[in-house]
Amino acid sequence: MPQSLTSARLRAPVNVTWEITDRCNLGCRHCLSADLRRGSRGELDRARCEALIDELAAMQVFQINFGGGEPFLRPDFLDILRYAQAKGIVTCVSTNGTLLTPALADELVGLELLFLQVSLDGARPETNDAIRGAGTFERIIEGVSLLARRSFPDLSLNMVVTSTNFHEIGDFHLLAGRYGARTRLSRFRPSGDGSRMWEQYRLSREQLAWLSEFLGEHAEILTGDSFFSLTNADRRNQGLRSCGAARMTCAVGPDGSVFPCAFLCEPAFLAGNVADDSLASIFEHAPIMEVLRELEVEPCQTCDRFSLCNGGCPAVAYFVTESLGLPDPECLRVAIPRTEVA
Amino acid sequence: MKTYHLSPWARARQEQFGLLFYDTRSTTMTFVRSGACLVAPPFEDRARPLRIVSGSRAEELRVTRVLEHLEAKGLVVATESH
Repeated sequence: MPQSLTSARLRAPVNVTWEITDRCNLGCRHCLSADLRRGSRGELDRARCEALIDELAAMQVFQINFGGGEPFLRPDFLDILRYAQAKGIVTCVSTNGTLLTPALADELVGLELLFLQVSLDGARPETNDAIRGAGTFERIIEGVSLLARRSFPDLSLNMVVTSTNFHEIGDFHLLAGRYGARTRLSRFRPSGDGSRMWEQYRLSREQLAWLSEFLGEHAEILTGDSFFSLTNADRRNQGLRSCGAARMTCAVGPDGSVFPCAFLCEPAFLAGNVADDSLASIFEHAPIMEVLRELEVEPCQTCDRFSLCNGGCPAVAYFVTESLGLPDPECLRVAIPRTEVA
Repeated sequence: MKTYHLSPWARARQEQFGLLFYDTRSTTMTFVRSGACLVAPPFEDRARPLRIVSGSRAEELRVTRVLEHLEAKGLVVATESH
């Protein structure tokens, strides 16, 4: 895939992350949506949700990533899923898995164009429960088992990699495999409540370097958001870039507020609200979207990997350095000699 | 003469550089620098064939190669038409 095309300006997002509810039955310590949910002015009702899906279909958005909160707390969520699928839009649902019942699992197996991502933050109960709450490991595994018994085809287990579960990555990969699920490893970002846990949960340089190697050796592992310091050529060739904000993606909050990406849902990045304007217009014209599209991380531009990572994740840079124009602080090049990571 | 349709699991949309394909099975994208030579069917009418806009012979050959590549990736299906 030619690099110049991956950075081309698209006329609409490829996917939209939609935090469809501000309700949640858990209180995970690193919740990236915590601030968004606290600041939310309610939820879009079903009619407004369907109107937004109509607009996404008209914009030819390929995929909606539903999150929250916990999406399955919305009584109309299955209807919303079906509505999107009937429009030919792929739906990816991020769930904590604790609300899955046999009846719900039966419904989900019958749906098309559905990818389910269940969050689990460790391979052992004590590790996961310290992050997601007491007793959650067991409840999550029960939910995953319901899906596995029904051979749900597109299931992944997602672990946000932190300093407390890092040592369980290998076991987590084995655990996912036992349930017929793919492993997804997500980067811990200092967004929402994550900002308050940053110093405690962030990975060390050595851990980041190890993770880069591990991901390079395990192409089967999903990393929805890029660990941009990947060293394996295959990963590079997949076209992973550090940031699709305002180019390939944007985020919609429970109340219809629009942001450049799910990791930049602070008031400073509010681009508009679908109750006041069309998503197409907000995506195309909101000044903050343009800021993200035109963002240039100048200190990185002489680096030989710049065309691959483009300076890393602006969200991490923003929350750690309070600047959008500085390099991602977790770039391995900053601390480790090039010969060791090239 | 071959006609090309999107595979049931493929989506495509027009961009400035050409076509952006999306595979619903894997959620992966394929960028195709086809300019205005290749026109995707409307999103709501994916059963219609991709339209090849006649240009020079060289352009036509290039588009044919692109379509063969897309067929190999499972994104389009070719049918012989008479």
